[in-house]
Amino acid sequence: MTSLEAAVSAAAALERASKQQESYSNTASLPRIGVFGNGMPETLIAAAGALPVHVSVGTTEATHPITAVIEPFVDEQVRHFLIRLMNGDFAGLAGIVFARDDAPALIAYQYASEWIRQDREREATPPLFLWNLVHTGTRPAAEFNRTQAEKLFAFLGCAGLARPDDSKLAVAAGAEAERQEALGQLQIAVGVARSGRTAAAWRNAGRFMGAAEHASLLRSALAAPADVLNTTTRIGIVGSPLASPSTYAMIEQFGTVVCDQQNFGQMWPVPGNAKASLKDILAATAADPSCFRITPTSAYRAALVKNLLAARCSLVICQLAQTDDTFGWEIPALFTELAAHNVACINLGFRDAEPDAAWLEHASLTISRALEARK
Amino acid sequence: MSTPYVPLESTKIAADYQRDWAKGLRAQITSGAKYAFVNADTPHELFHHMGLPIVTNQWWSAIIAAKQLSEFYFDFMQAAGFHERLARYSSLPLIAELEGDATRQPWGGLPTPSILCARQSADDHQKVFSLWSEKTGAPLALISSPAVPDPQPDWWRLARDDWEALYRSDRLDLMVAEFEALIEQLEELTGTHFDRDTFALYMDRINEQERIYEKAAALIADAPQCPIRISEQIPNVMIPQWHRGSAWAIEHAQRFHDEVAARVAGRTGLVKNERIRMMWIGAGLWFDTGFYSAFEESHGAVFAWSMYLPFAADGYIRENKGDPLRALAARVSAMNEQLHQPPWINSWMVEQAKRFRIDVALMLIPEHDRFSGHGSLFAKQALEAAGIRVIEVWSDMVDQRQWNREEITARIVPELDDLLAEKV
Repeated sequence: MTSLEAAVSAAAALERASKQQESYSNTASLPRIGVFGNGMPETLIAAAGALPVHVSVGTTEATHPITAVIEPFVDEQVRHFLIRLMNGDFAGLAGIVFARDDAPALIAYQYASEWIRQDREREATPPLFLWNLVHTGTRPAAEFNRTQAEKLFAFLGCAGLARPDDSKLAVAAGAEAERQEALGQLQIAVGVARSGRTAAAWRNAGRFMGAAEHASLLRSALAAPADVLNTTTRIGIVGSPLASPSTYAMIEQFGTVVCDQQNFGQMWPVPGNAKASLKDILAATAADPSCFRITPTSAYRAALVKNLLAARCSLVICQLAQTDDTFGWEIPALFTELAAHNVACINLGFRDAEPDAAWLEHASLTISRALEARK
Repeated sequence: MSTPYVPLESTKIAADYQRDWAKGLRAQITSGAKYAFVNADTPHELFHHMGLPIVTNQWWSAIIAAKQLSEFYFDFMQAAGFHERLARYSSLPLIAELEGDATRQPWGGLPTPSILCARQSADDHQKVFSLWSEKTGAPLALISSPAVPDPQPDWWRLARDDWEALYRSDRLDLMVAEFEALIEQLEELTGTHFDRDTFALYMDRINEQERIYEKAAALIADAPQCPIRISEQIPNVMIPQWHRGSAWAIEHAQRFHDEVAARVAGRTGLVKNERIRMMWIGAGLWFDTGFYSAFEESHGAVFAWSMYLPFAADGYIRENKGDPLRALAARVSAMNEQLHQPPWINSWMVEQAKRFRIDVALMLIPEHDRFSGHGSLFAKQALEAAGIRVIEVWSDMVDQRQWNREEITARIVPELDDLLAEKV
């Protein structure tokens, strides 16, 4: 295989994983642990000898009686997850870990746990675990978070996994450091050879494979033929978690998404993943400013502004899930701060997880008109 | 024509007290005295014990709504760039603050607080309070809110004594440590020392107050006919609750209890011929509390239950067990969650509905205060399984734009008609 063929093959594997999601990992030799939400350092699961696999990105056309207890304002990703969980889609996992400080994850955990507690109709479901990490840097918080790690290890122990020692943590963190380095290279390529859509797909492919495999595929894929890019405008994305290729494609008619500041964008993997000790993993995860619950609260918006300006964005697109009840509080102040730096901001409003053609057309028109008005 | 309902003396006394307190507080804080602006599920006890007056976010929100100002402020909210699906109840005071014209607000608005305090029980609390902090420069004390991973359905049986096992030691350790940090902050702010010995006595007084409410709730639950409206239950519980543990609060709780007891002893019913007992699930309908008496005349249907009275006992009584600060953590650490999170909410609703012999539940489901809305349908199913009719009310506790009394009445009346037909 030539290096070009290897690069094309790696790129195809990343695209495939991005589309197949957790089923990409079906043939993995390791036991798999599901992860719902950002804020769970996958290093801890990998060090215990399991493959962390995200379960919150997928959608389903199926239905299930559990929908009768899901209010319309529950996040779409929770609805899809609960239907899939109760239909047995995750029966092959050894457990699922939910990151409490990622809002949809707590609701997913509570509704799933209650349905199971009531012993209602369902296919096989794996054991569930709530990862209660607190996002602040005080000593009591650090002690609390350490306790949660021990609880996690006990949960993983029940799934037949070993409590990771320092050397195993260091090995897992080393793989995460490789992934981080490769993702850094990918980000450098965005706007030069890669589109924001490709970057998002390749990044999120890593949610369904080990860090070392992800790093290796990324390194190879970077040598694949360049994407066709529109480099007229450097665009940032903020708002609700977005994993819609068609929405990226619509946005990238106007430029390249060089800064993707939403939970399915550059907010993952969490910064603690590549730290070599449990203490440092927990501390860095707790300090992650991309968490809505970060204390001090000013850290969230400050990090957004810093990252968008560092990426030299001239246009920031905000888009919101139909159920947003949190990011909306940031919008006026964020837009004001960015406007002071001459960054144009456009709020596309609410959208479905996979918006329909009418929404995409309307959003495209909105961006087009806003850009025209700025001339 | 039935005999007109006679309000309790206690209700007027509570309202007068709160009005005088509010006037006094307003005079104090507008002349420069320090005060704290806090969320309802924060440790008010620490502020009270340090002598720092508090204004509670949800109380202030209800006051603004009762003054029929919410429509104006929510229109402003959208004009200011905040979208229409954000929380209303917890944000109305913030929006009034951001709007900036204090003369429009009750009391002529609030001066800048000396400290803000919220617990991160809902996803947006830290956002709402951080915007307030940014606007006013007041420091923000945030209390963490890790969730209980394995909530016991019958929490109210365990919460008074077995709170360590119920709420989990790791959560209580963290909350106590955060209380200690807050105490330090308050000591610095007030220049006074937090007296731990008298704090234990203060916590005992709160338990005493809530036990009086427990007896009052039992009177109403067990009486052959409901003796008072929930629009009277609510202020007689919640006004003293904002002053909990004070001599006045305990005295008033007893006054309220005694008045209820007298009505029960005198077989005084809210209506002459009570035929249907209803419960109102959710926060009060602050802009239209008159709705709670809408079906008395037509159907003999009374609202016998709202959460505020029974929650005084189940949500507040926590035995000190030699560690009053930890007991306070037990009270606060799941205060809101017990009212919204399955299985806590569904189990408690069924227990309460049975205890109060409820026929019909009206369930307020606020779409835009997600934390308050979550778990509603689990609770609905549990109530229906227990034989209670449930009518969903998709509205909001402070946003009257989402309230159509005629429409909801038209939905309720056939249900009540059916029920009466079944009872014949």
